[in-house]
Amino acid sequence: MVKTHNFPIFHILVFIGSILFLISGIRAQGPPVYVQTPILLGLDGGGVRTFGKLIKKGNVNIYLQPVVVPYNITAKFQMGGIAPFISKSVNEMEAQTGLGDMALFAKYVFFQKDGKGKTFRVLARVKQSFPTGKTNVTPAIGTGSYQTLTGLVAGYVTTKFGVYGDFGYNYTSAGLPDNLVYDFGFSVPLLPQQYPPNQINLSLEFTGNYIFGKSSNNFFVAPAIQYIAGRRVLFETGVQLPLIEDVEPGQKTKFMVLLGTRILIF
Amino acid sequence: MKKLIVILSFLVFLGTVHIKAQSPSDTLVHKKVEVNVDGLSCPFCAYGLEKKAIGIAGVDSVKIDVEKGLMTLKVKDGKVIAEDDIRKQVKKAGFTPGEISYPDPD
Repeated sequence: MVKTHNFPIFHILVFIGSILFLISGIRAQGPPVYVQTPILLGLDGGGVRTFGKLIKKGNVNIYLQPVVVPYNITAKFQMGGIAPFISKSVNEMEAQTGLGDMALFAKYVFFQKDGKGKTFRVLARVKQSFPTGKTNVTPAIGTGSYQTLTGLVAGYVTTKFGVYGDFGYNYTSAGLPDNLVYDFGFSVPLLPQQYPPNQINLSLEFTGNYIFGKSSNNFFVAPAIQYIAGRRVLFETGVQLPLIEDVEPGQKTKFMVLLGTRILIF
Repeated sequence: MKKLIVILSFLVFLGTVHIKAQSPSDTLVHKKVEVNVDGLSCPFCAYGLEKKAIGIAGVDSVKIDVEKGLMTLKVKDGKVIAEDDIRKQVKKAGFTPGEISYPDPD
């Protein structure tokens, strides 16, 4: 097992993030790209989210295209589903493609403290994944396991800055190890704030995944950019770079790139 | 008895005219309603608020200032908006209603 600690990248990105944060002025910001948000409104309440994610890991190439459909029962209670399309190939061999493990989720905001131009919200979430992805092919595009993730999402969003964080414990079946996900980040706008929105947001986010049993920790930094083009549509892109990656040398992540959109339909 | 019915009918008629005569003067005063909305900190989440507000009976148009946390409702001619309706819809949109005020007409 090899541990990779790319601390120079970490320091550079934190420095860039800090500068962006300081120069951004007093404006509102958009939803985070990788981290969960406790604000179940607007594009995060009644929209469809999809993104293409390209992962290059050792000799494995993965293309992931999930479609996420949330629906607000109330402003505090949301349910939804995730259908991921996956294409995976190893050693440049023929790729296996198809539907991966589908999931249903529910979120409930149990704490909300609003003030003038600011809000602090905390929600509880549960996500149930089903083994719908094929496992009888090589490489497998499903996990073959039922997985239940329970966790909390918190966010403090003001017109000056926004900080987001989430963590959750993922219970697995079929002999797979459980894991703990932990993410946090913030984002700032580059354009003057207005409604209907017309903004470019920059965000600096961190995503983590600790796998029990293997005692393996994977921690990524994820700078991202987002363009909100009016009330109903948003485009976003980002890259995840490893800061800590406890994997075999041949499985180390080379890059993970995301390009996506969110469209408000409800 | 007949006289009593005639007198009562006349009084009811007068009362109706009086009530109808009051309404236009109220709407003349309140052409706009300003609503402070707490928790409004991001433009991307204001869409639901706009959608709920435009559904309030008597609302002609909605303007949202995220920076000030302020929603301005333009009232349809001859209509009155109930403050309770405004508060209810702001809560349904996921925010906390604050002070409601009536600025002078433009």
